[in-house]
Amino acid sequence: MLPLCIAVIPWGILAGSYAIEIGLTSLESQAMSAIVFAGAAQLVALGMIKAGIGLTSILLTTLLITSRHLLYSMAFRQYISPLSLRWRLALGFLLTDELFAIATTHKAKNADLDPQHKFDKWYALGGGLSFYVFWNIATLIGIIAGQTIPNMDELGLDFAIASTFIALIIPMIKAPSILICVVVSLVGAIICGLLNIEAGLLIAALIGMACGALYAKITGETP
Amino acid sequence: MIWLTLGLMAIIVFISRYLFLAPKLPLKLNKNTQHFLSYAAPAVLTAIIAPLIFVKDHTLYLSIYNNYLIGAIIACLLAYFTRNTLLTVLVSMGIFFFVL
Repeated sequence: MLPLCIAVIPWGILAGSYAIEIGLTSLESQAMSAIVFAGAAQLVALGMIKAGIGLTSILLTTLLITSRHLLYSMAFRQYISPLSLRWRLALGFLLTDELFAIATTHKAKNADLDPQHKFDKWYALGGGLSFYVFWNIATLIGIIAGQTIPNMDELGLDFAIASTFIALIIPMIKAPSILICVVVSLVGAIICGLLNIEAGLLIAALIGMACGALYAKITGETP
Repeated sequence: MIWLTLGLMAIIVFISRYLFLAPKLPLKLNKNTQHFLSYAAPAVLTAIIAPLIFVKDHTLYLSIYNNYLIGAIIACLLAYFTRNTLLTVLVSMGIFFFVL
């Protein structure tokens, strides 16, 4: 959990400083992190606001970028949907890439020890809240720094997300089918990036998941 | 206008996260779908960062001058050999920001 909190910092600073740079007020910049709470969607939307692109396009792009969360909520449906409304709303609001990743890893670790023990809601809530707090504090730092230091978006702060996700993905590769899934997603996302396909993230991920699942089925790999 | 944009974005993001958590939604996931979804984490995380590392201005950027690529390779090696997330994140970010 701690490594992810640290990784959220540069990414949050970027979100805050970039919002200031394109002309949002401090309050708007902070509110964006507080209510939207989605790094990738925030940064892309800010870029579009800067370019003067209309509201409808911004919202459609947000929908495309955020659609991966549909996969997360579907994957956690069996664990979270039986919980009370309060729990569902809280975990739903906090369901970021980071939370999904740590809860998935935590679940896999526990399942090795005890197959009955699958999803720990308190662990998920603690992780989600930590990311929320760190994200908003980092945004605040970015808002303050962005008012004095220009062009903070060119410092490479987004490398934090690459480094963190690599640290999460590599230990997840425990079977050949997962390696196939990762390689196919990687190549697919690069191709979509080169072709400038907006829904590339989702397309690449779905094809990668399908290839991994298919490989496991064909070879009879035990999950 | 900014507030309207923020508000609507927040609603879209929240719905995408909450939709399938709602018990009222009539949806039963069978074993095959569950298995398929178990690949979501590695697939999505990879698809998010791949263009950041390999693509610049819509061209493939395979070069030793691509700091993102070199940093990513270092992170992969650290993650593989140390299996330590904190160390991987700190050392690879340190190298990226202060060395590369």
